[in-house]
Amino acid sequence: MRPADDIEDTDPGLARERTELAWDRTAISFAALGGAILKSRPYAGIPILVVSALIWELGRLARPPGAGRSRPWHLLMITVAITSVSIAALAISLLGPAAGGLRP
Amino acid sequence: MLARSGPGAGEERRTDTSRNRDPAHPAESAGEAEPDARFTFANERTFLAWSRTALALVVAGLAIIQLLPPFPGVPWGRHIIGTPLILLGSAVAVISYLEWLRNQQALRRGEPVSRSWLPRILAVTIALIGLVAAALALLSGVTRH
Repeated sequence: MRPADDIEDTDPGLARERTELAWDRTAISFAALGGAILKSRPYAGIPILVVSALIWELGRLARPPGAGRSRPWHLLMITVAITSVSIAALAISLLGPAAGGLRP
Repeated sequence: MLARSGPGAGEERRTDTSRNRDPAHPAESAGEAEPDARFTFANERTFLAWSRTALALVVAGLAIIQLLPPFPGVPWGRHIIGTPLILLGSAVAVISYLEWLRNQQALRRGEPVSRSWLPRILAVTIALIGLVAAALALLSGVTRH
């Protein structure tokens, strides 16, 4: 059996690998946001960084090669995380101290 | 589109799951079957792409409110632009999950996936926010002079 056949058997169209990369990009997006917020508001930045690590791990977990069963709870976690971030963003924006902007 | 419609499409999309039935997916016994792994992965990637879009909208709204200098003469100008963006991001996150569920169910039943409303919602809302931002910029320019 040729090596190329092996890959097609275990991961047709490299769909699994591309999906893992999509999970990685999502985790990096959260990490970038957490890192950006961390300096000014550590209480909001640290949980977002923890969530990004969780998302990274969720992308790695679970699926043996070839299996493609859906994972509703993993995806629901992303939705809950984004909704929580948006609620925190609204609270910071509407209830927090007025920001002067970047311009001095 | 995740999968083509038409005769035979449902059969192509589904895989034989008789060997690995999962009690977490009882619907398999009621005429539904686990779809081809490639379609499940594609549906998941679409959801993740929408999630990143949602996060970007939230971040953009937050950045507008926190980092932009205030509009002269329009103290609530930044909030008028940024708050809808944050709300839109939240809505996109929730709707994309619901669409993922609906598409996954359609794949399991061998039906064609339905049309997404998210691109339309996103385009219309961003266009409206752009118009409001332009109006605010003009208004603050008039107030300054």
